[in-house]
Amino acid sequence: MQEPESIRAYLQAVEDQIRWKRARPVLTRELARHLEDQRDAFIADGAQPEDAERHAVEDMGDPVALGAELDRVHRPRPQWGLLALTLALALAGAFLRVSLTAGWIDGIRGDRTLLAMILGTAALLGMYFLDISRLARRPRMIYLALLAAGIVSWYISPTFNAVPYYTRYIILTYPVAYALWLYSCWEKGWTGFLLAILGGVPPALIAAMTPYLMGLLLFLFTGLTLLLYAVWQNWFGVPRRAAAGCILALLLSVTGILAYLVAQGFGASRLENALHPELDPLGRGYQGVQIHRVLEASRWVGEGDLGPGVSFERFLPEAAYDMIPTTLIYHLGWMPYILLTALTLGLSAWLLLRGLRQKHRLGRLTVLAASLTLALQCLSSILLNTGFVLFSASYPLLSGNLHAITDMALIGLSLSVFRGDTIAREESAEPAPRLRRIKRIRLKIEYD
Amino acid sequence: MEIDKSLVSGSMSLLVMKLLEGGDLYGYQMIEELRRRSDDTFRLRAGTLYPLLHGLEEKGCVTAYERTAENGKNRRYYHLTNQGKKALTEKEAAWQTYAKAVGQVLKGGTCLAGA
Repeated sequence: MQEPESIRAYLQAVEDQIRWKRARPVLTRELARHLEDQRDAFIADGAQPEDAERHAVEDMGDPVALGAELDRVHRPRPQWGLLALTLALALAGAFLRVSLTAGWIDGIRGDRTLLAMILGTAALLGMYFLDISRLARRPRMIYLALLAAGIVSWYISPTFNAVPYYTRYIILTYPVAYALWLYSCWEKGWTGFLLAILGGVPPALIAAMTPYLMGLLLFLFTGLTLLLYAVWQNWFGVPRRAAAGCILALLLSVTGILAYLVAQGFGASRLENALHPELDPLGRGYQGVQIHRVLEASRWVGEGDLGPGVSFERFLPEAAYDMIPTTLIYHLGWMPYILLTALTLGLSAWLLLRGLRQKHRLGRLTVLAASLTLALQCLSSILLNTGFVLFSASYPLLSGNLHAITDMALIGLSLSVFRGDTIAREESAEPAPRLRRIKRIRLKIEYD
Repeated sequence: MEIDKSLVSGSMSLLVMKLLEGGDLYGYQMIEELRRRSDDTFRLRAGTLYPLLHGLEEKGCVTAYERTAENGKNRRYYHLTNQGKKALTEKEAAWQTYAKAVGQVLKGGTCLAGA
């Protein structure tokens, strides 16, 4: 093989050895800079530019050996185990919500669930193969696009229980949208910190005005956690204590306003009904009381006993939707529910812990946002299905077809971060070197 | 004097981590610094250095980040982690033991030959 004489030809020869296409520009960017430094040093010593470039390339060593070594180090990290677990949980959830509500007037339709599983699998795999660095290039644009989607869906979506139906699912993506916004504010000092706080206002307003209380609380908790994490990691370049003090003051202000509103009667009766549903068993506390009755009639394993002639579908409002975990407990017992919860919370915790170990800041923020969204949905659903009826709450991968699709997309996004961590790089102002493709026939295995 | 490459290759990660112990550096700086500190004895090739650095990064011994260098261009700096510092201490100790043992054998070789 003829030895390359130019930087371009050298980098091309290195790239030819790297099978992971996504890794090629990331890895050659560093080599290109090294070659430029070496070439400039030779020029500074008095060499002609052409000679300097040739000497720099010669100094670098064999491009084939270098490319082969980089190829050995940098391979995608497949996440087949977690993909299989997600698919298994999603299929189990689909099977349960169809089979448990079979024959009901408003039972979950099998054909729609099948379609949702196909779309959910596509969303899971689509996100899994997504290159996270593409999100890192336009974080604010994606954030604004998701906000716009929320506002548009608010106007055009059909309403269900006085809530725009599709807006709920878009709001579930807002923690990830905020992670992107936060990423765009790093190393911008107090301006960046202020922008990071202001970026949380529009998603919170959309969730509050929808109104989707679980979405709002989920966003506020996740957004605050992400912001504190960014401050703790010193990503804004401002004193940690001062920034944390600002966040605490903001938090106390919001809590104070909410406490004042509750003290003035706003939402107070709702809170009282959630805590003491027995005070109004045939009115606003009806759902809470019925949940308690169902749970008392449930067994560890096997179907519960509510007495003869009781129609479960009529006994428990929302039995096919947000109350599907209670339905599961009644029909199959506490043990299957506990097992499912352990798996779902375990998956969320696993994603969270692995997410914190990722190299790329956006990767860390994205996984943190997605895993907290899943975990908080699960915990909210547990509260609701144990009789604390304060707001609607979906159980990840179990309640609702569109919820399952959204959650599968969030998990896929997290797994994409893990898959590409070995070549994760913070974005640089410099573009990756553009290489001319040398046309020749190659026969080799390439990773997508 | 030309040094046998096989003598150097096994200890290259030790030398690179030792360089990073003194502060964060990017690839080109490491090669220059190694050459300067070894009086031009170690002329490490970039083709050897980068796979080595990326391997150390995979093991968690170093982390990397982008920063604007003195020449005004963005460069990828490497930083020795706590795990890397621990690995460096172990490698240094192993190297001292090895070097001492080789020295003893080389000294003893004359005695044996004369025995």
